[in-house]
Amino acid sequence: MRKAEGGILLRLLLLFMLHATGTSYSPPGKPTLTRCRSPEKETFTCWWEPGSDGGLPTKYALYYRKENSDKVFECPDYRTAGENSCFFNKNDTSVWVNYNITVVATNALGRTFSDPVDIDVVYIVKPNPPENLALTVLWDQTWPYLHVSWESPQKADTRSGWITLIYELRIKLEDEDEWEEHPAGQQKTFNIFSLCSGGKYLVQVRCKPDHGFWSEWSSSQYVKVPEYFNREKSMWVLAVIFSAFALFIITWLIHMNCHNLKQCILPSVPGPKIKGFDEQLLKDGKSMDAFSSLVGANFPPTTTNYEDLLVEYLEVFVPEERELMLEETKELHNDSLKFENSTSDCDSGRGSCDSHTLLIDKSEEEKGQQPDQQSSEIKMDGKGQDEEDKYLTCSPENVDSHQLSSEKVKTWPSSFSPLPEYSPIPLQQPNSHETSKQPCLSDSLFAAGPLPSHFPHLGHNTKDEIGSSYWQFGISNKQLHLLHQQMEAHQQLQAHKNASVSNIGHLQLPSVRFTEYVEVQRVSDQNMVILHPVPSHPETSYPDWHQTEEYSKVKCVDNDNGLLLLQREGVEEGMDMCSYEELPESDPSKTTNTTFTSPCSQPAPSVQDERVVGGYVETSVFTLPTY
Amino acid sequence: MDTTLLLLSVMCLTVSSQPITDSQRLFSIAVSRVQHLHLLAQRLFSEFESSLQTEEQRQLNKIFLQDFCNSDYIISPIDKHETQRSSVLKLLSISYRLVESWEFPSRSLSEGSTPRSQISPKLSELKTGILLLIRANQDAAEIFTDTSAFQLAPYGNYYQSLGADESLRQTYELLACFKKDMHKVETYMTVAKCRLSPEANCTL
Repeated sequence: MRKAEGGILLRLLLLFMLHATGTSYSPPGKPTLTRCRSPEKETFTCWWEPGSDGGLPTKYALYYRKENSDKVFECPDYRTAGENSCFFNKNDTSVWVNYNITVVATNALGRTFSDPVDIDVVYIVKPNPPENLALTVLWDQTWPYLHVSWESPQKADTRSGWITLIYELRIKLEDEDEWEEHPAGQQKTFNIFSLCSGGKYLVQVRCKPDHGFWSEWSSSQYVKVPEYFNREKSMWVLAVIFSAFALFIITWLIHMNCHNLKQCILPSVPGPKIKGFDEQLLKDGKSMDAFSSLVGANFPPTTTNYEDLLVEYLEVFVPEERELMLEETKELHNDSLKFENSTSDCDSGRGSCDSHTLLIDKSEEEKGQQPDQQSSEIKMDGKGQDEEDKYLTCSPENVDSHQLSSEKVKTWPSSFSPLPEYSPIPLQQPNSHETSKQPCLSDSLFAAGPLPSHFPHLGHNTKDEIGSSYWQFGISNKQLHLLHQQMEAHQQLQAHKNASVSNIGHLQLPSVRFTEYVEVQRVSDQNMVILHPVPSHPETSYPDWHQTEEYSKVKCVDNDNGLLLLQREGVEEGMDMCSYEELPESDPSKTTNTTFTSPCSQPAPSVQDERVVGGYVETSVFTLPTY
Repeated sequence: MDTTLLLLSVMCLTVSSQPITDSQRLFSIAVSRVQHLHLLAQRLFSEFESSLQTEEQRQLNKIFLQDFCNSDYIISPIDKHETQRSSVLKLLSISYRLVESWEFPSRSLSEGSTPRSQISPKLSELKTGILLLIRANQDAAEIFTDTSAFQLAPYGNYYQSLGADESLRQTYELLACFKKDMHKVETYMTVAKCRLSPEANCTL
């Protein structure tokens, strides 16, 4: 009791004394565990950092606790590892066991605990660096290489497999700064190639367990590479020199042949040159002389062969308001139907006329009829001697007033439908004639010879001997009023036709068709060519079907309103000509003008003179009542 | 005559060494597989730890010590001395049991990305490999009498017994224990392999 009292008294006295001296004392600062390491997974060491000691002597103690146990142990060895460390030997070390370690600092005034740290020995392994690093220079033929070898750290038991280490080495030249690192895996040797001749190298090596920390680098080992002839380098030097030399030679060659090469690679562009043109003359100022040479025999072309310019087709210009084109197509089933699509080809064979293409063929009859105001031409062909199958079916359905708006429609109103008695022959090429439908006026209105007496009222120029003829009317878009007129005409025609039909209802089908030649009688004052038939054959010569037809095409009407006709050889085939059929006229008074043709030039000036153009004109003159 | 004898002896040697080489090969394969699994476990754990806050980390550290790993009932050598004292067969059997104990819980680990999903099948394969090795190294005389090693605790439900609100803790435990166990197996296998290997330096 007395001793305890004495102790307390002593302590108090000490405190008082300390206070009296004026220094401040405090409990120790908090220590911290810096690290724990195990070199071989069998032992480990922990180091701590002491805090402030508070001015008083402080003692440190390390306590640990293993997992799953509350028993606290104190560090067994404070000295082996140095100051502020704790060493755990093999007996105290358990692998795969969590340690909870705490450091306590104690001084006179108190004690302070550090933060606890949990460690597992397996994960704090940091081995010692490898040992016995050896460098050897070996030779591979003429090139040296470095052979490096080392040993594992002594403590680490790799032999039993308790710990597995992987190694890494680094090398550099003595005066360099950068290290060249090479991972070596688990092997303990390594070869380095591509050494500098005569260089001095430093080599270091380190190791690491498969799960742990890298060891420190081992101490450096030096090696000096002996001098050797680097053939590779010399090869490169030689190659460079040679290529430079070759380049020099090539450059020199190019320079010598500069001019030739230029010609070869970049040929000069030929300047413009006119044949026969003397530049010098121009320079001298004699421009006329210079140009005169250009005027050679061929320039400008003075003579032309006009015949080359002739075309076969006759284009007759139809005045716009009276542009009614009639075309006859006759469909012969054994003949090719050549269809004049006059409106569609604008360019062919124009010549000097810009009119629609028309073929003026001979018509067998009345061609001498007065050309009408509505000049149209009908191409007639008296071919086809066979019976009703020769009749071309006029397809009255073709009439489409809507078509008139845009194109020249060669249609005829449906009134001109073929007579029922006469079996109509369908158009062989109806499709191609879409735009220019040619409904033929089938008419079996006109029978052969015996009939003419029936039709005097239809038109005084009707040659009734002629078989049916087919008319095609082309009505241009500008002539809608004309169409109207046409309509009236056709109505009249219809009337007549009907009349004629009734008249000839019992008539035989005229199978005879033949063409008659017409001759241009005169050109009327309305720019119509009045033709009169030329009785080349007797009218009775019906059997004479196959008449060679000669017809000439009207080329054009020249400036003097003359019809220029082209003489033409007889063409029998391929000409689709409908036999002329007379169209009835409404007005006898106008019968004089029943024939009309489409003059190819401007209709304005009336032609008074009679123009016999020469040759026979096969005109499919068609008489329409004039309005 | 001499040459034929020599040939025969060489052949006999090669034939007799076959099982050893086969065993070696199997060991090498098994060891590499375990190493891979351990790496995987390590990666998962570090990922998980990095995703935690420091506060959570401290808490978890405290918690971890108080809890047990699933495989704690399996008595295994915890230091080198013990390990070296154990026979190869014992090491193999312990490894086998450790791997087996993780077969079921690894399914909860196998959710998610590709490396995770490979854990369960890899464990199965490893188990098969270890079994092969056990059979290869088992002698008739050496019967495993350590019955304690075969105590099978109902480990299946251990990790599911924890509460749902402690999923973080559960994950932490799962990952940490898995990592540790894999390292154990890797060490045991390596030691066993090195013990059987004829070379002095078995790590090569």
